[in-house]
Amino acid sequence: MARRIFILVLTVSAVFGGARWLSAEQPSMVRDLAATIALQGMPCDKVVDAKRNGDSDYTASCKDGNRYHVFVDSTGRVVVKKL
Amino acid sequence: MIVAGIACFLVLIGCTHVRPAAPTEPERAASTVPASGSATPPSGTALPAPTGPAAAEPGNDSKNAAQSAAAAAGSSSQSGAGGSSRPKPKPKPSNLKSPGNAPAAAAGAPAAAAKPTDAPASDTSARQSTPSAPALDLGALEQRLKETRAIGLFTKLSLKNQVDDLLNQFRAFHGRQGATSLAELRQRYDLLLLKVLSLLQDGDPALAASISSSREALWGILADPVKFRQTVT
Repeated sequence: MARRIFILVLTVSAVFGGARWLSAEQPSMVRDLAATIALQGMPCDKVVDAKRNGDSDYTASCKDGNRYHVFVDSTGRVVVKKL
Repeated sequence: MIVAGIACFLVLIGCTHVRPAAPTEPERAASTVPASGSATPPSGTALPAPTGPAAAEPGNDSKNAAQSAAAAAGSSSQSGAGGSSRPKPKPKPSNLKSPGNAPAAAAGAPAAAAKPTDAPASDTSARQSTPSAPALDLGALEQRLKETRAIGLFTKLSLKNQVDDLLNQFRAFHGRQGATSLAELRQRYDLLLLKVLSLLQDGDPALAASISSSREALWGILADPVKFRQTVT
């Protein structure tokens, strides 16, 4: 019984610890995406979610409902496409 | 009991893990400023941008190193009798005008860390030059923008794209190929600079101040065909 509880505690702490570690990375990326979208002149009050599609390829969801595909094209240009 | 102890231990580990992150950020910010300051001298002949605003002030008041950058230019003659009372309200309006002063007035540790480095540098070189001394050339600006951690990778790349676009427009203008006038180019230059400043003013106020103070110097390079060819190839 004690062993089960121990494993449960370990699992929970690992999950929360990992989540906190990931969330430490997320804000900088979210800020980066928000700044990039704003630099391209697109409206986005706040990025609430960012999904990584691949290398230098993200889908950003804004608080106002706008969604953008932000990626680097083959010429090295940052492209922001409204979805 | 043992389980509770383990849980407490894990929580404690979590707490101790959080703490190191907080001190390291100011350290990073403090370390990047001198690093970038030391990186500029070799790349750019016209030394550190921070010396531009700071240079004007130490000449007038050595104590308030960076707090009244713009105020020093305008009210250097007024610093005689009422100097202690008047300069205090002046930094507030100047903060609104140029982000270059925001670091000195509002920022905490990073700005404080930047001040000591600015002061000695201003003693050596900046006194020789006038208050409107050019701070950054294009190479130094590019280098410092690359090094700064205030903006992310996507933003840097996006900015680079826009800078390249503007440089191409200048190239076309100097080659008499483009239809854009110098006034239009100035407008685009100002807009791009505003974007850069708005991105940097919170995260890297020292660099924002440098860019703000060297705005005209950079424009001088871009607008002059000879300087442009020498600098941008």
